[in-house]
Amino acid sequence: MSGVLAVYGKEIKLYFRSPIAYFVLAVFLLGTGYFFSYNLFVSGLATMRETFQNMGLLAVILLPAVSMRLFATEYSAGTYELLATLPLAPWEVVVGKYLGALTMLGLMALGTMLDLVPLYLFGAPETTTIISGYLGFLLLGSTCLAIGQLCSSLTRNQIVAALVTVSILLGFWFVGHLQSFQTVQFLRELFLYISFAWHFGEFIEGLARFESLALFVLFSVGALTLNVCALEWRR
Amino acid sequence: MPHPVELHSLTKTYGERTVVDRVSFHVGQGEIVGFLGPNGAGKTTTLRMIAGYLAPTSGQVTVAGHDVIRSPSASASAVGYAPERPALYDSFDVLGYLRFVARAKRVHRADMASQLDRVVAACRLEAVARSDVYKLSKGYRQRLGLGQALLGQPEVLLLDEPTSGLDPGQISETREVIRSFGSDHSVLLSTHILPEVTLLCDRIAILHHGRLLAIDSPSGLGTAVGRANRVELQVAPGGPPGLKDRLLDVSGVVRVDINDRQAPYSVNCAVESSGNVEAAIARAVSRDWELLALRRHDPSLEDVFLHYVESAA
Repeated sequence: MSGVLAVYGKEIKLYFRSPIAYFVLAVFLLGTGYFFSYNLFVSGLATMRETFQNMGLLAVILLPAVSMRLFATEYSAGTYELLATLPLAPWEVVVGKYLGALTMLGLMALGTMLDLVPLYLFGAPETTTIISGYLGFLLLGSTCLAIGQLCSSLTRNQIVAALVTVSILLGFWFVGHLQSFQTVQFLRELFLYISFAWHFGEFIEGLARFESLALFVLFSVGALTLNVCALEWRR
Repeated sequence: MPHPVELHSLTKTYGERTVVDRVSFHVGQGEIVGFLGPNGAGKTTTLRMIAGYLAPTSGQVTVAGHDVIRSPSASASAVGYAPERPALYDSFDVLGYLRFVARAKRVHRADMASQLDRVVAACRLEAVARSDVYKLSKGYRQRLGLGQALLGQPEVLLLDEPTSGLDPGQISETREVIRSFGSDHSVLLSTHILPEVTLLCDRIAILHHGRLLAIDSPSGLGTAVGRANRVELQVAPGGPPGLKDRLLDVSGVVRVDINDRQAPYSVNCAVESSGNVEAAIARAVSRDWELLALRRHDPSLEDVFLHYVESAA
């Protein structure tokens, strides 16, 4: 566990000594803040529902900028040679880096909680729906980061890592729309079942279902396992 | 008792290309072994396999008795590895970087400060301890790369070109660090600098095209190569012309180079390695010229290295 903590500490330090963390946080909070203010003051909707929807799409687009550097820059800067020869198991490196990225995700979620102050002041939101929405956001975000970290472990170029990740995540976000073009029942259900937007939508509605939770956890654990395999394969 | 480093028929191939070909040797306790070889000989790949960065295609490496593949964490704990290009995080400061490496090497919290102080002092990093890594000169980066390898008190130090890019003063200091570490630990270093190997190493391993051509002490390698194929003369000016032809008439002399731009003339003769050709040369020259000095050279490390590499080619 001390190996995981060592890598985690390094990652946190690296995030906040580079402008990317501040840029991602700023864009995310400005974006969600804008949509929240619009919904509240212009549309008169004193709920988090629309804000959560925007948070989900922003996460899918912005989180690859958090995950892109995780391994790609280690390869290109030659520092992976150090990491791989320290007494650290590949899983410790993977988990330490992942926890660092999750901390960024947590800060993004924490920042949006400022929106809850006027919501509770001017409206009567359902607390359980808000908790469910945040749970969904964290599950969606952690899946995005796990997939992004896997992509980063497969290339030396962080731009390539980010582009591939965005493509995959947008694919899983919009795949639910394909069910409209399908007549085969199995494919209709499959496209809906693997749609990140659909499962996230369930959480936003206050339906924290095991099926949706399992899908996000399965994707995250699968991507992290493949990440460990990719590091082993590099040797 | 196993040696700190043991290689058994170590092989690494990439597709059809064999980069390291059945290399076997060991590094003993308190021994410094130098890896010599031209570019592409397989030195770095061998070091990387010992450090656990690359997996061998076949063969076995053990470090401090631990198989590098079966017990990677245990073997990595026993190794301090400094790659040729120092693996540094530019956005860290020097102490922050060393602290991260020490944590990853499971240095106990109580020992952390003393280990950092020892490494900073040994690698002469005091002046830059609080500086950001990206601001360091190449020499300091190289020394920081060596410093991280010393953390955690490893049994074995693997150094890939440890003095490349350093100025003469820094080279001397770095050699001193390696020598003091090597007095009670094991060091395997690769270098292109032949005098460095002579100054530092107890044994020398010569690698070419991935094959281990020889491994022995510097004197042992010289003996194995045999006597050098070079005789140097000093001749006083003023004799008749034709010195070169006279020397070439001596049986066993292959080539003659004369530098007659300043007195005394300096003459270099390439000779066949077998036979005692010096006496014949002395007789041939002293008939018409004044022979001031004659010396057959002991084989230098360069002679030894070239002998093995050319023989292999």
